This record gives sequence, C-alpha cells and structure tokens, in this order.
Amino acid sequence: MSVLEDIIEAVIHGDKGKAVKFTQKGLSEGLNPLVLINQGLVAGMDIVGPRFKNGEMFIPEVLQSAAAMHAGMDVLKPRLKGKEVESRGTVVLGTVQGDHHDIGKNLVAMMLEAGGFRVLNLGVDIRAANFVDSAVKQKAQLIGLSALLTTTMPAMNEVIEILKKNGKRDKFKVLVGGAPVTQKFANDIGADGYAPDAASAVELCRKLLPS
Amino acid sequence: MKKIFTRMGDGSPVEMTETEIRRDLEEGTREAALRGKIPALGEGDLKHLLEIFTIPFRFVSVERGKEIVLSYDAGTLKIRRVGLSVNRIQALQIYEKLFGADTMELAHVDYSFKSIKPIVGNEQPVLEQALLVTHIPLFYGAMPNLGLYSQPDGPFPNPAELLPQGKIAEARRSYEDSVEAAVKDMVYVSTAMIESGADGINFDTTGAAGDPDFLATLRAAEILKKKYPDLCIELGMAGEFVLGMHGGLEYDGVRLAGLYPHQQVKLAEKAGVTIFGPVVNTNTSRSIPWNLSRSVTFMKACAEVSRIPIHVNMGMGVGAVTVTDHPPIDVVSRASKAMVEITRLDGL
Repeated sequence: MSVLEDIIEAVIHGDKGKAVKFTQKGLSEGLNPLVLINQGLVAGMDIVGPRFKNGEMFIPEVLQSAAAMHAGMDVLKPRLKGKEVESRGTVVLGTVQGDHHDIGKNLVAMMLEAGGFRVLNLGVDIRAANFVDSAVKQKAQLIGLSALLTTTMPAMNEVIEILKKNGKRDKFKVLVGGAPVTQKFANDIGADGYAPDAASAVELCRKLLPS
Repeated sequence: MKKIFTRMGDGSPVEMTETEIRRDLEEGTREAALRGKIPALGEGDLKHLLEIFTIPFRFVSVERGKEIVLSYDAGTLKIRRVGLSVNRIQALQIYEKLFGADTMELAHVDYSFKSIKPIVGNEQPVLEQALLVTHIPLFYGAMPNLGLYSQPDGPFPNPAELLPQGKIAEARRSYEDSVEAAVKDMVYVSTAMIESGADGINFDTTGAAGDPDFLATLRAAEILKKKYPDLCIELGMAGEFVLGMHGGLEYDGVRLAGLYPHQQVKLAEKAGVTIFGPVVNTNTSRSIPWNLSRSVTFMKACAEVSRIPIHVNMGMGVGAVTVTDHPPIDVVSRASKAMVEITRLDGL
C-alpha cells in the first residue's frame, strides 16, 4: 500500500496514531503536504461520509475518523506556511433562534470542514439577522440553518426574508436541515437546498459550489 | 382515471389512481431492498398488494382459516389512552374477552426495567391476581431503556455530553457500563415476575437506545433462557435499524450497529428468544402503499430466514400503520391482511 492509502485507511478506522505516523512518513518521502491533505486525510473522510450516510458507520466512529484527520493535519500545519490550502468555500452555520440543539449541526460542521470547506459555526439559538451579518462579514457563499423543532423551523424562513429585504438573496445559497425539516419545507420557504444528514450536506455544498 | 382512497403515513386522507399506487408500491419495495440488501417483492406480490388497496371496502380481512395469533404489548397502558378508566387487570380482561387477544402483557406505566426494579414487589401480586382472572398467556414486560442509565437519570456519564467533547472512549465506556447494569435489572425483574407465575417475559421496544440497548436485551435473554429453559421470551424491536450509538458492540461475533430485521432475528434466535417482534417504521411523508410495500419487503426477508415465530409489530407508526393515536381501520386492516397473506409470519 502507498503511504496515501495508509493515511486513508488510518482515517477510516479512526486511528490517530497511524494517521500521524503515515503523515510523517509521507513527509519524509518528500510528498507535498497539500497532496497528503487532499489525497490522504480528506480522501479518507470522503469515504467516511457516504458510509455514515448508508448506516455502515456511526457517530462515534465518524468522530474518531475526524480526530484522526485532525491529528494528521496537526503534523502538516507547520509545513503549510506560505502554501494555500484550497478551500471549496465558506459556510456560515448555526441552529436557528429558539432552538438549542447542536449535536447534528456540529456533525455537519465537522464533515464540511473535512470536506474542504471553511466553516464558521455560530452555535445555537442564533437570531436570523446574525446569520446574515456573519455571512456578509465572512464573505461566505453558503448559509446553513439547522432546527430540531417544528416550532423553530419558521425561523429559517426569517433568514431568507431578511436576505430578500436587504437585496442579498442572490449572494448566498441557503441550506436547511434537521430532523423535522423536509425537501418540501425547503421548497416552500425558497431555500436552495435540503440535506437529510451530514454526509448529504457535504454532497449538496459541493454541488452548489463546484470547485 | 378512477381515484382510490388511501392515506399518507401521517394518517391524512389521499386519493390516488391505480397507476400512482402501483408506482408507490414499486418504489417502496425498491427502497427496502436497497437499504436492507434484500430481495425486492416480485410481480405477484406487488399485484396482490395493489388488489388489497383497490378493494372498495373500508375494512378488509383474511380468508377463514388464515387467521393468526394476536399478541399485544403494553395493552394495559394503551387502553387508558382512549379514556377508559379501568385498572390493569380489567384492561387485561377487556383485551382477552372482548378484543380476542391471544396473549397479553401486564405492564407498569413507567415501563422500564430500571424503574420497576424497586417496585417489583408491588408488581408481583398484581400479576398473581391477573393470572387468576384470565385464561390467555400473560407476559410481564417493559423496555430495556438504556437511556435511564446515564446522567441525570442514572449513574454513568452521559455519552451525549461526552461525544461532542471528543471523549469518544469515555462515551463508549459509559454505554458498556450501562449494558452491564441493565442486564442485571432485566434479569432481576424478570426472575421475580417469572417466580410469580408470568407465562413469559416481553422485552419491548428493544434497541430504542441503539446497539447497547439491543446487546443488553440479548444478554438478558440468554441468561434467563439458561435459568428457565421453558420460558417464553418475546423480543420486540424499537425500529427497523439498530443505531450505532456505541458502534463497536458485538453479540456472538456480529456487530450490532446497522442490523436490519432479517439480521436481528438470527441473533435473537441465538440468545434463546422464543418470539421475535420485528419493526419497520412508517414514513409520515410517504403514502401507505409505499410504506406497506416497504414494510412487507423487510418482513418477508425476516420471516424467510427465521426459525422462531415472528410477530410483526403493527401499531401506531410501525408496520405501515399511520402515526396517529387512533390508527384508522382502513389502514390497519389492509396492512394486517398484506402481512398475513404475503409474509410467512406467525402473529401480529
């Protein structure tokens, strides 16, 4: 197996030790840190995402894989100075006002980061105007809205309405998700996309922002 | 084209053409086959399902001689939801003498083995009294409910707090400790109720807290079966899919996370379970034809590999029955007819 395949395997199995070991080995073999990231660490997470979606991997394992990926990244960080890590785009993400659920939203943030996106995770109970302000400030391309309660779903629509009112609707793609949210709801409020799970959110963001 | 009355999974009425129903039947079985990696229904079964939906009567049934066993879980709790002010023994009698139940379960309102442990001495005389005034087999049952073993309800750290902090090993250890504690409680309560004369033990809504929940139940069943070889143990599932809350737990060398009914039943057999109650969840935003075709596909695969009796869960939100407090008879009877006629099962 090549060192890149070893890194991919280490990430899939959530083995931090091996992720560090093989990333160091890759460097010692003279591989470019960006290659180790994109074709090793991120490539591993690209396999983890669909497996999670298909019910073949579960949250603890996905978290271990992410930890392994980050451990490998820590090895590479000092070597990245002056090298541009390619970002697929910036996502401003949060749970809407009135809703304090964050586990699913954090999983989405983690998977998006692993998928090459820059993520600004605003947290929970975020006012609609804050999403818009942060997206403008961060020059984001995507706004991700999460809700776990049917009672807080209307707050998603508020974000879209503020964007429309401020003449900024065409500047951002708005994605919605969370247990009670459906494609129909996304269509009804005029969102640009709906993702039923974290892996689908990555696929959707990639579709909306092709590299 | 003529419209046929049916419903969505949330119970709302919808009228569909035969072509639309046929399309949903095909999509439903295809979805189950894809998820469970099991065979889709063949042309004969799809035609039969279509016939069931096109029968103009509100209530449908099976031919004489094809009736099957009806077993109930938590009936002593459910009847009070319709406003009948009866005690649990009266509820058992109503199910037996009026509803034609073949087996019943005595259940406590807290319905979790952990909650029942300190009051099991109060439950025993109720069961003893109930056995004196009923004739059908009486189970005692509750949920494994592993959620009650972590803080703030139980002694172990809460995995839902540990996981976001990246404390994965600690979260997994908490689940493993919960399994050990739950097995002890399930065996303790079951033993007490068996000694008081229970005809069987029902582990209900198993797997509600994911793979640790399912593992605790399998282990408890194994221990009880060794202790009481003639005991009838019924194991009813919570959902169609075992969630990997831990992800790495195994029983008899098989990873529990991600198992579907046809795989779950094989482990239930190994653990000594007598009757298996598989579940397929109802999708509220899809039609009943879609849900029923999907559900029958899973159940057929389960029944084909099972060597123990299968009593399919058919109630609110499962087995293609609508997610409504009072499931409509048009749906319940059609779903039941389809299960009996297409799936080789033993009871509902």
